[in-house]
Amino acid sequence: MATARPGWSRRAQYSLFFSFLALIAGILVGAFLLALSVLAPARFEAVRGAALDITGPISSSLHQVTATAAGLVTGAGDYWDAAGQNGKLKREGAAMRRQILQARAIIQENRQLKATLKLREAQQDAIAVGRLVGSSFNSPRRFAILSVGTSDGVRVGMPVRSPDGLVGRVVDAGALASRVLLVSDRANIVPARLLRGGIPVISQGRGDGTIDVRPLEVGRNPFKRGDIIITSGTGGLYPPLVPIARIVKLDDDGAVAIPLADPANVSFAIVEPPYEPAAAAEAP
Amino acid sequence: MVRAALATKRRIGQGPKRLATVVPAATVVATSLLAALPIVDQSGWYPDFGFLVLIGWRLLRSDPWPGWWAAPMGLANDLLNGFPIGFSVVLWTATMLALDLVDRRTMWRDYWIEWGLAAVLIAIDECLQWWVAGLAGARLPIETIVPPLAISICAFPLCGWLVARVDRWRLGR
Repeated sequence: MATARPGWSRRAQYSLFFSFLALIAGILVGAFLLALSVLAPARFEAVRGAALDITGPISSSLHQVTATAAGLVTGAGDYWDAAGQNGKLKREGAAMRRQILQARAIIQENRQLKATLKLREAQQDAIAVGRLVGSSFNSPRRFAILSVGTSDGVRVGMPVRSPDGLVGRVVDAGALASRVLLVSDRANIVPARLLRGGIPVISQGRGDGTIDVRPLEVGRNPFKRGDIIITSGTGGLYPPLVPIARIVKLDDDGAVAIPLADPANVSFAIVEPPYEPAAAAEAP
Repeated sequence: MVRAALATKRRIGQGPKRLATVVPAATVVATSLLAALPIVDQSGWYPDFGFLVLIGWRLLRSDPWPGWWAAPMGLANDLLNGFPIGFSVVLWTATMLALDLVDRRTMWRDYWIEWGLAAVLIAIDECLQWWVAGLAGARLPIETIVPPLAISICAFPLCGWLVARVDRWRLGR
């Protein structure tokens, strides 16, 4: 755009004037769209889903390449000190077997007790299994791109977990990929409790990969370093008893925790139906 | 300019590329596509690449594209990056307008003034992102924008250099 004074040409003067008008119109349209997407995010669901279908498959295929390359490097590294690793793994394996036997006995006892109480639990079946292939690495929000979409049955509002712990919930769904709001995002508030003692707490992301944990009852700080936080199932969106995070630092009235499911390292992410289907309709 | 004209290396038949007029806008959309890279990072400290390249082009030339093109390019950036739709539309169009007004005021420009201008624009970008995230329910302490701000400001000269290289290529210099 020519910005110097256009001289005596009426045509040049008009074109400069209209270009300024076009810019101002662009700002107004943008402000309107922005207000709409902050106030009524659901309105843009289809557009955002379509955009995900463009970037999602690119991320997925590039992820395959980097995962293969990284696998070659770590694979070579595992041969180093193989004998030492072997001995360590055998000892760990023996310890694990003893714990598994104990756990089996507890599960059996639990089942008998529940049968006598006539409790029935909803069985959670995985809807889809995908990989986290990308993230919002240039924004204060914490989103990740998941490689499964509506064609696999994923819907907005469904919780996502990995074998290690809770990952987050789906906020945008395209046909081939979806966007997950991670537990470390500031806007993701998860009702939870301490594994040790079952004290109810609230988990809220800090936007930098860590989580703020606060007890529901104000008073004594109940946390210790190394404590595990699990979901409580309150609210009905996230299933109960899914591990969320491990506490690494205490502060005045709560603690800072690190998610157990590190999105950069989870091998696969499982999309589950909302624990109580009515909750999915309310979730933003 | 004079130096380029006096250079002897210029070969006959070497001129602007066929689509030279759309190359600047195409590079901006291509850098927005960097959001599809398989980087799973929890810090959020990476720069807003599309915006850096946009101001890189606009500071290099006053007319890399008709001003209103910033709106559709911003929309593409929002969609590809997953920003709230309309965020980059406002910011990028306002940036074009602001730099047009700055061009009317400044008598001369040098490297430091351009870097300073870019730093101010990047700071506005980061603050606006922080504010919009707050509106959407993710209100963080303001000091969390300092690391990404510093990284983006340091990354700008690199973007400016890359843009200048692409500009010379597209014009066949």
